[in-house]
Amino acid sequence: MTAVHERRLRELRSRMLVRAFDHRQRRHARGVWFRLRRVLTFATEAYALPPDEAKRLLAEGHRPEPVGRELEPSRVILFVPAARVAKVASARRLAVRLSAEVLSAECLALVPFEAGVDAERGPSRAGRAGVRGLR
Amino acid sequence: MTFRERLIATIRAARPVLESPGVLVVGSEVPNLLEQGAAATLVVSQDLDVGVPVGRHAALKERLGDLHGFEPSADEPSVWTPRSPELLELNFVGMDPAQDPAEAYVLEDDRLPLLVFGALSLLSRGAEIEIGGTRLALPRPAGLLLEKLVTDRTGEKGERDLLVALGVLATSAPEDLDELEKLYRRLRPELRHAVRSNLTILSLLAPRPGMPDPQPRRADVAGLLRRFEASETEAP
Repeated sequence: MTAVHERRLRELRSRMLVRAFDHRQRRHARGVWFRLRRVLTFATEAYALPPDEAKRLLAEGHRPEPVGRELEPSRVILFVPAARVAKVASARRLAVRLSAEVLSAECLALVPFEAGVDAERGPSRAGRAGVRGLR
Repeated sequence: MTFRERLIATIRAARPVLESPGVLVVGSEVPNLLEQGAAATLVVSQDLDVGVPVGRHAALKERLGDLHGFEPSADEPSVWTPRSPELLELNFVGMDPAQDPAEAYVLEDDRLPLLVFGALSLLSRGAEIEIGGTRLALPRPAGLLLEKLVTDRTGEKGERDLLVALGVLATSAPEDLDELEKLYRRLRPELRHAVRSNLTILSLLAPRPGMPDPQPRRADVAGLLRRFEASETEAP
């Protein structure tokens, strides 16, 4: 076996071991990044909100995504319809990405893609309705 | 010389192996070739991946002598480097349909050793197209998409692979996605989770030059993730 093949095999097997570990630990802290990426994946837009606006949205019945409480310090992450976010003058739009701005926002309002996500309840409670016909 | 011209020149020069029975073009060039007229606008890559079924390895080796435009790399003999800067390099990889998608092994050989990647076992023969006078076979889009999403890579290479998956998604038809879902369900839970995890990474990638832009396709990625989640019994 060539040295290059040996190295590539070793690297691949190492990654497989890490992935197996990640999967076993997915319910714990190891899985938080996946859960955070997941809620962002279902968002077409993201906004940083002042805490008082987030409180108002919570009072209106918008439910926080559980992953926000898994972070330290905890964040409020809410799925909110675009029309409602548009009424929040202080909302600051952010790129939907794992950026420093997104990670440092104390309160995040996420606007869901139209199909498949219940904006009132967010993707974690959206049930099992699959989205058919992506094109 | 444009990238497309280099790609077509490479295909022409690699005709002896590309027309060898069972061989598939795999990897980052497939989205380019699936575009209308093989427009090659989606992905810029410096190699052409040639998938060789392990059962056809001996037959392919007989054709290596006709491969005049390339020579084996001294460091990695499964890579054949072009003798001309107008060609891309060829990267031979092994495919073993009986292999576990998370495993890999080396098919030892003095002339053409192959790294056999388990994820390539998800590929099956798809469309045949003719380019530059060469008939070549491509994998079915569903298997190729799943192979890219299940493969665990890191850093720059990993992100590029996910953008290749995006390129395949962009050219997939609804029936390809139905087939993809069926293939996905056959994976064991750990690999299904890896697929979903990679979709979330893909959704959040920044655009990069020469690669498909993830931003306009984020809704498709979200839809695919939701579709996969719908077939899971475990909460996300």
